[in-house]
Amino acid sequence: MEYRSDFSRCTIDELPALSSRLKAEGWRFVQMLCANTDDGIDMVYSFMKDGHLVNYEIKGVTKGDVVPSITNDFIAAFVFENESHDLFGVNISDIAIDFKGHFYDLAQAEPMTIISPAQKAAKEKAAKLAAAKAAKEKAAAAPQEDDAAAKQAELEAKLAAMDPEKAAKVRAAMEAKAKKEAAALAQAKEKALEEKLAGMDPEKAAKVRAAMAAKAAQAASAKKGGE
Amino acid sequence: MGGFKLGKMTLGSLFKKPETVMYPLETKPVPKGLKGCVENNVSACILCGICAKRCPCGAIVVDKKARTWTIDRFRCVQCGTCVAECPKSCLEMNPTRPKVAKEKSLVELHVPEPIAEPLQNPNG
Amino acid sequence: MGKATVIPFGPQHPVLPEPLHLDLVVEDEKVIEAIPQIGFVHRGLEKLVETRDYNQFIYVAERICGICAFGHSLGYAETVESLMGVEVPERAEYLRGIWHELSRIHSHILWLGLAADAFGFESLFMHCWRLRERVLSIFEATTGGRVIFSVVKVGGVTRDISADQFAEIKMTLEGIKDEYRQIVNTFMKDTSVKNRTVGVGYLSTEAALNASMVGPFARASNVPYDVRSLGRGAYGKLSDFQPIVDTQGDCYARVKVRANEVLQSIDIIEELIAGIPTGDISVPVKGSPAAGAQASNVVEQPRGECYYFARGNGTKYLDRMRMRTPTSQNLAGMVKALEGCELSDVNMIILTIDPCISCTER
Repeated sequence: MEYRSDFSRCTIDELPALSSRLKAEGWRFVQMLCANTDDGIDMVYSFMKDGHLVNYEIKGVTKGDVVPSITNDFIAAFVFENESHDLFGVNISDIAIDFKGHFYDLAQAEPMTIISPAQKAAKEKAAKLAAAKAAKEKAAAAPQEDDAAAKQAELEAKLAAMDPEKAAKVRAAMEAKAKKEAAALAQAKEKALEEKLAGMDPEKAAKVRAAMAAKAAQAASAKKGGE
Repeated sequence: MGGFKLGKMTLGSLFKKPETVMYPLETKPVPKGLKGCVENNVSACILCGICAKRCPCGAIVVDKKARTWTIDRFRCVQCGTCVAECPKSCLEMNPTRPKVAKEKSLVELHVPEPIAEPLQNPNG
Repeated sequence: MGKATVIPFGPQHPVLPEPLHLDLVVEDEKVIEAIPQIGFVHRGLEKLVETRDYNQFIYVAERICGICAFGHSLGYAETVESLMGVEVPERAEYLRGIWHELSRIHSHILWLGLAADAFGFESLFMHCWRLRERVLSIFEATTGGRVIFSVVKVGGVTRDISADQFAEIKMTLEGIKDEYRQIVNTFMKDTSVKNRTVGVGYLSTEAALNASMVGPFARASNVPYDVRSLGRGAYGKLSDFQPIVDTQGDCYARVKVRANEVLQSIDIIEELIAGIPTGDISVPVKGSPAAGAQASNVVEQPRGECYYFARGNGTKYLDRMRMRTPTSQNLAGMVKALEGCELSDVNMIILTIDPCISCTER
């Protein structure tokens, strides 16, 4: 026997047929669980045969849905079905040993479905992070773009993950840095040029200077036109 | 079939040294690998607070302003996470059995100011 | 035929180690039906996973149950590892296997003692627990704790066992073996023990399969299912592993299966110690489980198969963690076994499923 574990999908309507089929085929009921999500409750039914563990998932069970019990096929499920009813508020019909909501006597109804504000904030942050990661992957998937663009995308991705205030600050800082760098570069260029010019004879230097001024004026006008 | 199958063992026990010890007059020897309790070597501590952050039960409180490192030994589960995570290796597990107490109490340690390191070569 | 009467049994009852309530419908001295109820010590540990990160939760997982503490930390760690695709070093797998089998020995001997106590054999109970104490001493020397070990972490184990300690473990186990055989002899052959166990609480193979039973309870009814035989972790390296089964399906068979499993565990430990490779004991684990990633896992605990399910949400906190413990699976089978028994045998039958209600109520 070798161990394997799979996940597979199922719906509420298919469940009774699935359970009687698995029963006939000699599968063993392993467990049933619920997981609270934003679009209802996910129910996972697990069965095992010869080392093969299969988890059938029913996604998004909401308050109004009535889930048929599988206790007529697998009696061991009564513990889990009562538990799902008491802790998650899943409406399960015809449980063989039905405690009618008194399996766990709770002070708080459906305690497993409560999400605290702190958890909500954490979840939102995680969603942002995931979006950032996706953006990063997108950037990585486009190799024809030059390095700077990739860097920019990465930065954007990072910024997306941060909270807005912080992101704005970082962005401002980045822009300031970029400006400073550009200014420094221009200054260095000018300096180099000046040095070069100093080495030339005065006439030629004047010519070059005039040409440079013309070029700068042209570039400035082009920029203006572009804008 | 038959009764008194445990006879040999029971009779044998009459002449053996008892397996139990007369606690509290006598205590069992402490094994080498015992987890014991967390101790902090304050002279190496930099109050980074990683131990407090990683602690699964919130037993450690680090106050940077007051320069104190506080542990609630009654909350500590001796998992050893703080010891493993400490960047300065100033925490260690002291393999002793904690003392029995009537009341819960905190252990507060004051972390001294770091002494400015003398210059290696003042002349140059 | 008398009138049917309902006798409430538990949650506080001298023979019950843990809070389980049963409504016993009896007619004269015969139990017709038993309705179990739990929920007296529910602690909401599955909810707690949302506020403890996946490294911290391992210490919570251990505390689900005092006796299967190692099994729970192992099962939890394996599940998170498969969720994150972490490969554990071989030496760590072996060490986990050794500790897991040691905890099986201690759990089964503890259970044998409790069973002896349940049918009123006080001195047998004390001899059992005396032997168990030696296993606890091994734990104390190798992990630093007697009950809660905190040695498993996601990605491996935190402590290594030295060659000297291995030799010590081997010696202790050899010492236990001899005395243990005498104790088992008492369980198997003593008339007063047999009077209380033979033919009591019979469960057929079909009934065990129908009730989806696990663990020694199922194996006593000739269901050859043991997660260890799936050969995962260190168990895959064993030369041979055959689940211990019995065909009788009564309390006597359940005692026998557990008694033999202890000897089997000792053999497994010796084999693992002989074959343990050198190397790292853990790998660093970075990052957090991906959003929507799911993993399921089964582990053979002393009481039977335990199922774990984990779902990540992209943060270091897990979205959902599920531990389905063997006792909750065996409750249905216990109800079946109780039907038609004598009222005086109820405590014996409940004990033979080795109920761990605290396990069940995470």
